[in-house]
Amino acid sequence: MKFIYHASPNLRQKLSTKRIMLELMIALCAVYVFTLFYYYTRYDLERMLQAVLLLAVSLGTALLTEGVWALCTKQPVLRYLSSSFGWITAMILTLMCTINTPPFAIGVATFCAIFFGKLLFGGFGQNIFNPAAMGRAVIFACFAGATTDAITGATPTTVMANTYNWLPTTSASFDALLERVGSIWDLFIGWYPGAMGETCTALLLIIGVILAIRKVIDWRVPLIYLMTVALMALVLGLCAGVEELWLYVAFHLCSGGVMFGAVFMLTDPVTSPTAAQGRVIFALGAGILSMLIRVKANLPEGVLYSILLMNMLTPLIERALDGQQVRMRKKAYTITAVLAVLGIALAALLGNVMESAEEKAESLALAAETTTVQEVL
Amino acid sequence: MSLFLGKMRQHINGHKELSEHKDVVKVDAGKEVLIPLFATHSTNFDVFVKAGDHVKVGTKLAQCNDRMIVPIYASVSGVVTDIARKCMHATLKPVAHIAIENDGKYETTQAFAPLDYRQASKAELVEFMKNAGIVGCGGACFPTYIKYSGDAAIDTLIINAVECEPYITSDYKMVEAHMEQMLLGADAMKKTAGARRVCIAVKVSHPELIEQLKQACAKWEGMEVAAVADVYPMGWEKTLVQTILKKTYSRLPSEVGAIVNNASTAIALADALTKGMPLCEKIVTVSGDGVKDPINVQVRIGTSAKTIIDAIGGYAAEEVMLISGGPMMGKTIVNDQFVIDRAVNALTVLRVKAYDDVNCLRCGMCSDHCPAGLQPVRIAQAVNAKDKDMLLRLCANECVECGLCTYICPSRLNVTENVRNGKRQTMAALKK
Repeated sequence: MKFIYHASPNLRQKLSTKRIMLELMIALCAVYVFTLFYYYTRYDLERMLQAVLLLAVSLGTALLTEGVWALCTKQPVLRYLSSSFGWITAMILTLMCTINTPPFAIGVATFCAIFFGKLLFGGFGQNIFNPAAMGRAVIFACFAGATTDAITGATPTTVMANTYNWLPTTSASFDALLERVGSIWDLFIGWYPGAMGETCTALLLIIGVILAIRKVIDWRVPLIYLMTVALMALVLGLCAGVEELWLYVAFHLCSGGVMFGAVFMLTDPVTSPTAAQGRVIFALGAGILSMLIRVKANLPEGVLYSILLMNMLTPLIERALDGQQVRMRKKAYTITAVLAVLGIALAALLGNVMESAEEKAESLALAAETTTVQEVL
Repeated sequence: MSLFLGKMRQHINGHKELSEHKDVVKVDAGKEVLIPLFATHSTNFDVFVKAGDHVKVGTKLAQCNDRMIVPIYASVSGVVTDIARKCMHATLKPVAHIAIENDGKYETTQAFAPLDYRQASKAELVEFMKNAGIVGCGGACFPTYIKYSGDAAIDTLIINAVECEPYITSDYKMVEAHMEQMLLGADAMKKTAGARRVCIAVKVSHPELIEQLKQACAKWEGMEVAAVADVYPMGWEKTLVQTILKKTYSRLPSEVGAIVNNASTAIALADALTKGMPLCEKIVTVSGDGVKDPINVQVRIGTSAKTIIDAIGGYAAEEVMLISGGPMMGKTIVNDQFVIDRAVNALTVLRVKAYDDVNCLRCGMCSDHCPAGLQPVRIAQAVNAKDKDMLLRLCANECVECGLCTYICPSRLNVTENVRNGKRQTMAALKK
């Protein structure tokens, strides 16, 4: 008879990290299958194979980088790979890219994400930045102009940002916008060009709910994030006098990386606060930043950078809420309230000072006129 | 569950069916009985017997006179062979035991005079609890009289028959077998506390027991049954008071006008009041996948684990973990020579299972589920970083070691062990 010692407790729940990652992978696969379907039906086989190629390059780079790292640090390669979950990063990164991203760009980005974003920090669980978001930022910074073809055209967010300055106030200009990008329904079901996995809001929403129920992700983060984006869009639209107010809010929720970011990126447990109240503040801050960057900064989209910025703030949020959680609630309420008021105030301010699409068109026309006049003179 | 806080509790598969519907088996104490000289962290006892003395069931053997007074009585009759044998106690501490050679006759002497609690004053009742050596049978072994010595106004007495640890069913068996005695004990406690009502807490997953209790309670004044959710750790005072009274306290339940006592403690008190006898015998659950035949046994205090497990058919595997108590809070002990003390209500025997751990992914499930509202993941970080200030900020000393953080951890880390470490460091820092 042999008695084994183990400090209590001696019981474990069923859910494991490997299971969580497996379910996350299945969810990402579902999104990917939609992507393949979209590019095959909307375009052609070649475009679909391009999507396959991009994922293959990214996955290969991720596994290779981690494998070599494991060899160099003298760890059993297979075991290291299976508990490092690099393929999740590769999948998320690929799904955040557009179909015309050059394969070498995605390879470099994946390497940067895995090596600089994760391994250098100490591997899985130690990284500060969401590795996939970091990889995507590398593409933004280094390969912005590099595309394989231009068939797939401009994304709704680019059109909204470049032509309409995120503020089409009259119904007429909103209709004109929708004419170029398809209906809100198209945006909802993902029938438009964009980053490969970010388009289908409906699918992402369903996946988000399933993952939250299955405890793979925390429901608080997407809920608060989407609510923040919706509320800020509403206040912004209201203050700017947008006529199609609800469609405007829906456009904000259904376009760009908002839904994908809410479900797959912000919920990354490694780079978000551990306590529930911290995650609420984290999601709220990300929502505000997303909107600010989206409508005001020199980028079509704000989701990615809002995530990276909030990743940096995670240690601060954690530090602020250290303690017995029930007693910390008051502090958490205060921070949340201050942030919420700040967000609404900023949205109201932007609504009043931002140039609307019509004003912008007018001033552009005026400028053009002036130039013409000057040329004539 | 709310937006800002996690659940602070979790349903755990109780495996109660393994032992719940089988009759209790009586197991003989065997040739030698060891009575532990141990009471709430104290091993400082005055011993009244010496080797060679003949004792009977109910003979007062020793008394702890430290901060709390706890007498110890013999549970068998026979000859004392040793008064200071060092053995491993069920709480994993080496403790002196009084060894008695059991003559198997169970000759009885009345330990103290019975008391009619209806006629007695509060002071008399508190004194009686002290002399009878009534201690909390739920696991903590805390002297009951202390709970009733305070001056705080008590409104509700909560009788804890929740049995939230997986596998254990001994409290249910005790309540079923001694329902009238339990209600009598509870009534005496109610009188001692000056409480308005008694609330008997049972998990909602035991409808038959609740029904029986409801019928029995109808005959008593101010007694009710509270069906509580089947979650862990519902049996912890703080969670239980929060669930039943919707109030939170910081240190003691009396702050919100409540006293919590275990159902088996109430039965022990009733036996003392009516028969003038201390707790000599109790029901212990022997369960888990490591025994051939999980069952509840009725044994004398001081019976060794080996005697019990041999009597019910032995282990089911060559390598097992033997736990005194349940799998969540019970201590794993590496031999089966330790004995059943007053607060041991189960022996859980589990087959050894290896878990594949990965790095902490900071999912925060431990923080969401901690019933004390702590942040185990942060405490573990502070322990690794050797950051004393951070540990103090995180109130690591408030951990009750319920084990839920380790249970819930999807990365299969020993979170509780880290928090225990942090708790020890914090306690040491606070003492300075």
